[in-house]
Amino acid sequence: MAGLLKNDYLKAVAPRPPAGFTALSRLKKFFAQPANQFLILGALMLVLFLLNKINSNLVPSSIINAVATTFIYATVAIGFCLLLGYSGLASLGTAGFIGIGCYTGFYMMEQAGATYLVALLTALAISLALGIVVGFISLRIEGIYLAILTLGLSEILRNLLMALSSTIKISLANIKLFGVKVDDKQVFLLIVFMFVVLLILTGNLIKSPAGRAMLAMKNSTSAAQAMGISLMKYRLLAFVISTVYAAVGGLMYVMLIPNITTSTSQLFTLATSLNILAAVIIGGSKSLWGTLAGTFIIYGLNATVLNRIAFFSKNPAIIVIVTGLLLILVVMFYPGGLAQMVKGARAFIKRKAAAIRRRRYGDED
Amino acid sequence: MSIFLNAILGQFLVIAVTVLATFAVTLIFKTSTTTNFAQGSIAALGCYVVADLLNKYKVPVYYGVLVGMVVGIGVGLVVDLVIFRKGRNVNAIGKQIITMGLVSVIFGGIPVIFGSPENIPFAPFYNYMELGAEPNFSFALGGGDIVISKNGLLNLGITALVITVIFLLLRYSKWGLGVRATASNEFTAELMGINTHMITAVSWSIAGALGVLAAAMYASSSAISPSFMTTIQVNAFLAAILGGFSTFYGPIIGAVLIPLAASLIGSLNSVLVSSGGSSSFDFARWSMIIVYALMLVAILIKPQGLFGKRIAKKV
Repeated sequence: MAGLLKNDYLKAVAPRPPAGFTALSRLKKFFAQPANQFLILGALMLVLFLLNKINSNLVPSSIINAVATTFIYATVAIGFCLLLGYSGLASLGTAGFIGIGCYTGFYMMEQAGATYLVALLTALAISLALGIVVGFISLRIEGIYLAILTLGLSEILRNLLMALSSTIKISLANIKLFGVKVDDKQVFLLIVFMFVVLLILTGNLIKSPAGRAMLAMKNSTSAAQAMGISLMKYRLLAFVISTVYAAVGGLMYVMLIPNITTSTSQLFTLATSLNILAAVIIGGSKSLWGTLAGTFIIYGLNATVLNRIAFFSKNPAIIVIVTGLLLILVVMFYPGGLAQMVKGARAFIKRKAAAIRRRRYGDED
Repeated sequence: MSIFLNAILGQFLVIAVTVLATFAVTLIFKTSTTTNFAQGSIAALGCYVVADLLNKYKVPVYYGVLVGMVVGIGVGLVVDLVIFRKGRNVNAIGKQIITMGLVSVIFGGIPVIFGSPENIPFAPFYNYMELGAEPNFSFALGGGDIVISKNGLLNLGITALVITVIFLLLRYSKWGLGVRATASNEFTAELMGINTHMITAVSWSIAGALGVLAAAMYASSSAISPSFMTTIQVNAFLAAILGGFSTFYGPIIGAVLIPLAASLIGSLNSVLVSSGGSSSFDFARWSMIIVYALMLVAILIKPQGLFGKRIAKKV
């Protein structure tokens, strides 16, 4: 009897075999994998690059540049997304961490004559150490206080950069990868490659036990600790990841835009930290695609779309105002950002479609 | 000795400006539980109005600054009424982001309202007050010349007066009691019959007015632009953290300490040289780094700030 019941139960809950295992459903499954989506993004960028190479009227270099800039800031932003959206830690030190990456790249490649890989490894090591320091600070100080303290740290790093060097400048001749000199077009490919790799890594991390632990920590530190999650371990991890990503972003930035004056550049100021924060919030602090979209709105939209519209290119101030208003509206009415809007729209369409189907064919049940 | 004294006396203007900005930041933090990143840009907006009034319409300086402060009050009120009253359920980080959205709007708005020129020439308070041709008091003391800028002294005096009045209001007026109650717990204060809407609205307008006053003072030493208050504002946040947000006087002491420490460390080089030694380390160049690092250490040792009280957290 019991066996019979169990069999019935299993039959009821067993997943039904797919109606037709067609090419379409296989394709759907392929696209549902985040890693594949990211790879496709990389492939699209490769196409963009080739089109630009074939005929620069087809895809102007300004678009390539805007995309590269977006990807650089998006690298920083996904690190920050992990920190804010998944671990619930607010930091305003991003600009300083980017600066560290910039300076390390400059020092290693221009002054020490190292290759790109060595510079990258050095930047990783330095930002790792810095991330651990900030992580330890975050164990002692929380919330808004932590944000302001990291702002102080960022100011220290900015002043440090100004004291160390007045300009950060890499001549293209000094960017070497595997002994090969890289020209300015290939820097774009390098940026795309780095970004896609980091995106896939981050996507996997979010789905891993470490990602879940961070999420638990965000929702309630006390509950997470009670579940045996080490606050120290995961806070350090979150800060290390965000600093490392920011430093990698800085390293890529200095290769793309190889002449920065440290005292006047806006890159190392509070404005950058706030813009990255804005990008993550507008996009949706828990979604990688959302973060990418948010970064594009703040850093890429201007050069790719708006400058082509006469009204906006005549009044550049309007763009800044619109960004600000967008930010306020998103925070007040859509705390989940663009990702939430898309989700809402999708659910709305699904509901409407179901309603139409019901009206046409009657209730299924 | 005289070098140290001059280093202290030379900071009067910066101290005055930082104190005003810090008090504004603290007031907003206590009543609206957010750090107002737009403090500096609201101040800059008001300062543009002041500059326009003084330069284009030749308005006397007192009236010009007063009108600017009224603009500051207006902007503060609009921000509170339109945004923060509606966004009460937004969390602390969300509120911070709203204020930085405001920064964006004001940065974009200033060129639209005041035209394209980035810097409007803005003559110091001092010139308008006709305090004499000599800009400094100077006298000999202990083998060196002591120089006090009249402009700095004047601004420090105004700041001291304003801050004293506000502290008296906080201590003895009904509004002050309301602010203190709201700061300690907004929900309970509301239950006790305090009109917290009114309290936050008044706090935002006072913060706006103080910001514009600070900006008008600072404009005598720096060309004005939409972002010319940013450095002061960053220092104000750090001063507030250093002093501790739990009292009103703590942040102000922090705001006095930071410029003083920076200036004193910066003067170490000339002290070393004048005492016969020489230094290979450029203190002036590294002064801000040393100050920030010292501050970081101080906050790590006392996370509630130098004058803060430990607040027990209920889980």
